Amino acid sequence: MNKLPIIFVGILVAFTSAWLGLVVYTYIALGHLQTVPDEDTGGNFPPSLSGLGVAGQRVYAANGCIYCHSQQVRPAPLSTDIEKGLGPRRTVPRDYLRFQPVFLGTMRTGPDLTNIGLRQTEANWLHRHLYDARSVTEWSIEPSHRFLYKLQQIQGQPSEDAVQGLTGPHAPPSGFEVVPTDDAKALVAYLLSLKRNYPLPEAPLPPVKK
Amino acid sequence: MKPSSLLSSIHPATEPDTLAFLERAEIDASTRGPVLLFFGSAVFWLLFGSVLGLLAAWKMTHPGLLDSLGFLTFGRIRPAHLNSVIYGWASQAGIGTGIWLMARLSRVSLMHTKLLVSAAIFWNLGVLVGVLGILAGDSRSIEWLEFPGYATPILFVAYACIGVWAVIIFRFRKPGHIYVSQWYLLAAFLWFPWMYATANILLVWQPIQGSAQGAVNWWFAHNILGLWFTPIGLASAYYLIPKVIGRPIHSYYLSILGFWTLALFSNWSGMHHLIGGPFPAWMISTSVVASVMMFIPVVTVAINYHMTMSGHFEALKWSPTLRFTVFGALAYTVVSLQGISMAIPSVNTLTHFTDYTIGHAHLGLYGFFSMMMFGAIYYIVPRLVGWEWPSATMIRWHFWLVAIGILLMVGSLTVGGILQGVALYDPTVSFRSSLDFATPFRWLRGISGVLLLAGHLVFASLFVLMLLKAGPRREGPALLATPAENPSQTTAA
Amino acid sequence: MTAGLILILGGLVFLSGSALAAFCWATKRGQFRNLREAALTIFDRDEPPGTPTDRFPPRK
Repeated sequence: MNKLPIIFVGILVAFTSAWLGLVVYTYIALGHLQTVPDEDTGGNFPPSLSGLGVAGQRVYAANGCIYCHSQQVRPAPLSTDIEKGLGPRRTVPRDYLRFQPVFLGTMRTGPDLTNIGLRQTEANWLHRHLYDARSVTEWSIEPSHRFLYKLQQIQGQPSEDAVQGLTGPHAPPSGFEVVPTDDAKALVAYLLSLKRNYPLPEAPLPPVKK
Repeated sequence: MKPSSLLSSIHPATEPDTLAFLERAEIDASTRGPVLLFFGSAVFWLLFGSVLGLLAAWKMTHPGLLDSLGFLTFGRIRPAHLNSVIYGWASQAGIGTGIWLMARLSRVSLMHTKLLVSAAIFWNLGVLVGVLGILAGDSRSIEWLEFPGYATPILFVAYACIGVWAVIIFRFRKPGHIYVSQWYLLAAFLWFPWMYATANILLVWQPIQGSAQGAVNWWFAHNILGLWFTPIGLASAYYLIPKVIGRPIHSYYLSILGFWTLALFSNWSGMHHLIGGPFPAWMISTSVVASVMMFIPVVTVAINYHMTMSGHFEALKWSPTLRFTVFGALAYTVVSLQGISMAIPSVNTLTHFTDYTIGHAHLGLYGFFSMMMFGAIYYIVPRLVGWEWPSATMIRWHFWLVAIGILLMVGSLTVGGILQGVALYDPTVSFRSSLDFATPFRWLRGISGVLLLAGHLVFASLFVLMLLKAGPRREGPALLATPAENPSQTTAA
Repeated sequence: MTAGLILILGGLVFLSGSALAAFCWATKRGQFRNLREAALTIFDRDEPPGTPTDRFPPRK
């Protein structure tokens, strides 16, 4: 029984020293993460988020999108994320510098959204999907977010913001249109900004194959 | 310890075992108010959380269900369910059990009861405000910490009362051996505020930059499992299993080994939730190693419980507490070994992001922790109120409904999750495949939710009937059936 | 990131350190000396070892 304290001290010291060595060394190496300048445009990588996009993060958080969607591209050979087209490269800590909070997510009930801004460039498509996913993708189980939209009567001219091409059981009856609220516009702006196709020193883009 | 007025009024020639009974009954009675308050609140949140959980489950197989209102959207119901069951049901059941166990093991009557009653009120207020806040659209979408910023300080105040109380009662305990359950409870009660405060500061009040948030998030969420719920569940089992069958723990040495290795390794393993994610490789690797080291405390506990129960398994027929507790103990071993396997990167490739993880989470929080809490509540409440549970039949219904329910849930999500994971990994199939594989198993999970809710309704009814004195009166020291009454019962040294 | 790393790793060291400190305290106080007796602390004269203490409630 007297030997037990020695065993425990031994385990703790061995474990902690390995940790300290790794921590100290990597802390020096990692340092403080900053953005990287983009020579072509004079901006920075990762690019900053528009005001509407920042507001969109709050809508994303409020409606729990993380419970079905992840936002991280894992490397090969651990995963086939890149092969399946989730993005041109894996995501690294610096990719998330501009986001608050960081929606890494832990579920893929729905597709990963790291690069949704690359796959869908049209705001209208995203509005249609948010309003009634099954009218766009019939096998989708995404819940309808039509509470983020307003159904209103068309006053003279249809509104510029109105969502086009809506079909399905929640499509507006004739004489009516569906207009996104500010929350919906912010959310879509945020989603459109989700693209990590810029290179970083620690995560270069793979060479383009012809 | 102040001599109780009851004890001092007893004739000095009273039998020592009667004295022991009275002393113990006095201690039990002193915990009645706070413990029943925590248990009663916990049962309410169990029902509320089960309804939310059932709704979330059915929304996954019927996405059009109740989808017109924002506060009922899946993305809000799901975190409302999680927080209701974690902070509303599980934590309060754990605190109630902890209070009773601490009083018994310290062998002192409860002091500062008002502190605990305030704690219970504030805790429930915090959970209510938090859950309603989530449904209203103020969720932070930080897993296990979704409560909006205006709810968390309330919980923290409640907790401060409990933490202070735990230190006081430990300080004024009767001298002697500190039983292993008390180690576990003290550890849990002292570490929880540290974890909760750190996570809230770094993620909510002064958020740190970038993907490091994920690291803090999962350090916290895993520690809630390993250093809050696990110790409380194990403390309960380490006391109740030997107490019910009347036989001391098989190897007290192993129980100590298990405690210290849990304390050392558990808090390093949180990053296994983020394998492949945007983090330095050393952080992930160290968590994987720590997760594998968890093998030691898990196997230690499993051996200990099994050897203690060995030869006494027929006790499961006549003790409700033992049924639930042993079920929980078996689930603890399985879920922990499963968790260790999931931390290995090659396994994680298939299980990450799938329903497999959800099955695992429910096996842990329900199959292990909630079942342990049911066992504890069944043992503790009669000793607080002085009468028996009103119906053995209802207890049996409760047990079988939830046992089958949780096995169905975990089984279906595990199989469905693996198939989902294989499809997610396969570069030749579309995303839709993963959905098609998972769907039939989500249907089964939806059915399991109905069984669980039914079981909880039975339990809640029993609890209410208990409070309304509907049960047979408990007699004095010989409150157990004699061997003649319960022929299947054996007494063993 | 910096403050976060310090706090998390500090927290980890604190938690493990407190575990170790408590362990040393326990050893000094002789908590590990008589384990057989320690296992018996949950029993007393009224509920001695060998007596089961639970059952299903009797039928009315």
